[in-house]
Amino acid sequence: MAKKAKEKKLGAVATVQSYFMISGSVAGLIVFVVIPLIWILRFCMYKYRGYGAMKFVGWDNFIRVFMRSPKYWLAVKNTFVFAIGKLAVEIPLALILAFLLTRNIKGQNSFRTIYFMPSMVSVAVIGVVFSFMFNTTHGVINEFIKVMGGSNVKWFADGFHAMLVIMIASIWQNFGINMLFFMTGIQSISPEMYEAAAIDGASNSRQFFTITIPLLGPVLQMVLMNAVLGSLKVTDLVLTLTNGKPSGKTEVMMTYIYKTFFGDGGVKAKDYGYGSALTVITAIILTIVTLIYLRATKKSSDIY
Amino acid sequence: MNFRMSLRGKIFLYIFLVLIAIITLTPLIYTAGASLKTNKEIALGGINPFPAKPTFDNFKQVWGMDSIGGKSSVNYADYTRNSVLVSLLTVVLVVVFTSMSAYCFQRGNFPGRDLLYWIFMGTMFVAAGTVTMYPVLQTTTKLKLNNLIGLAIVQFATAGASNLFLTMGYLKTISKDMDDAAVIDGCSFFSVWWRIILPLSRPILATIALMSFRASWNNYLLPNLMLAGTPKFTTLVVAVVQLQSSGGSGATQYNLMMAGTMLAVMPMLILFLVMNKQFVAGITEGAVKG
Repeated sequence: MAKKAKEKKLGAVATVQSYFMISGSVAGLIVFVVIPLIWILRFCMYKYRGYGAMKFVGWDNFIRVFMRSPKYWLAVKNTFVFAIGKLAVEIPLALILAFLLTRNIKGQNSFRTIYFMPSMVSVAVIGVVFSFMFNTTHGVINEFIKVMGGSNVKWFADGFHAMLVIMIASIWQNFGINMLFFMTGIQSISPEMYEAAAIDGASNSRQFFTITIPLLGPVLQMVLMNAVLGSLKVTDLVLTLTNGKPSGKTEVMMTYIYKTFFGDGGVKAKDYGYGSALTVITAIILTIVTLIYLRATKKSSDIY
Repeated sequence: MNFRMSLRGKIFLYIFLVLIAIITLTPLIYTAGASLKTNKEIALGGINPFPAKPTFDNFKQVWGMDSIGGKSSVNYADYTRNSVLVSLLTVVLVVVFTSMSAYCFQRGNFPGRDLLYWIFMGTMFVAAGTVTMYPVLQTTTKLKLNNLIGLAIVQFATAGASNLFLTMGYLKTISKDMDDAAVIDGCSFFSVWWRIILPLSRPILATIALMSFRASWNNYLLPNLMLAGTPKFTTLVVAVVQLQSSGGSGATQYNLMMAGTMLAVMPMLILFLVMNKQFVAGITEGAVKG
């Protein structure tokens, strides 16, 4: 009886200590994550420009997004063009490099280290560096094109070229990290598989397609999922590289929302209710993409 | 693994790998080169990334100037100090609180544990950072937290659930017998964490520390918005971007911009080269378990 009472007392002390120890994280979560989320959910029904009274407008902000916001939908389109365009290069490149580097290659570690270095650089700073390199008048890229016999390209003058620069910068930054994920996945595939295939006379490319790709399935799914969501959320890179120019042709979902909250050097009026509605709709778009992706990958894993 | 390939194939393979390596290094080398050039030499163009006469003048000038290129009492020396302080404080907050809450969720047994855990997991994956920044900013303004300490607190609070996930995964590998033995020796719930769990989970905490340091050092939007009103709290990355956007007046001072960039990038690259293994482990563990 005495023992039980003691245990119970110990338990009570442990409970109090638990609450105490966890309070820091919980407080941070509530103040800086939960409350802001509730704020967004509430304000998407209001008209509020940061001054004057806020006015309840019901679904008006949402109607405005769907009926009268061509710029937002242009940004949505740009975001998907960006994500699909750059992942079509980035993921195969990462996969091939991972496949090559996990075979017996001299200097494997040095290559891996070099490929991964861009991931250490701040995304915002990458924007600064690439805008410098792609500068029209004396950027190194144009200088190189001139040496090769071409003429100056005005990289930031039209939407196509500007978007291309953003994609290149993003691929440069991210291929190494995806390669690393793939390398981990490939290293968990039993080497005997490859040995057996090699004995049967399978070429390297054949081994890549019949062993690596299928067995990498789960890792590939996970990496692709993260890469898709990460690309759809691109923000800093666009802000420091093009800031949506020219005329909104490189604007993406996140930068558009950002500007409805924080303005764009006075060009764009702040509109918090509208911004909150955009946030909710963007979250729904991201959720739909996730669900479609999960469904599609489930089907493909049924096939294998 | 055997690698069967003809000599010709091998040569092609190495050419490919080296080519990608050169492309990867080009922006870094070019930046480093430009930071040692005069602005005149940069304006001349050309594809040679290396300066004719390397000069450290850019760094000297940048070190003593403010983020829009003028002379001021606040300068890059301050920005560097700010970045270091904020990143270290963020690391301390993340490591201490993540370790404690992971231990409570993993080992504790208190009313409301599961509910709290799901709130953590659920909201952390929803929180998209950029989109909730406005209400976060309102809160920090109200709480008078628009300073370096506040920045570290918000960075810690919005760091995401993967840290918690990783640490809990690691705690599973620490035998509970250790806890029990410590309890018999008279340790309380808290002192089991302090004496047993904290020292034993050092490897995973080191990983989390590195990841948080990188995230904080490289952060742009949050420090830019939170500390916009107080130039003395500007961090390095924010200063570099400000230098770029202020270039409108006359000839942009690319040499200074690149010197500033080097100041913002080099510490991270050196840290990476020194702790290469830990970084790689941290990134891939997060992928496999998270």
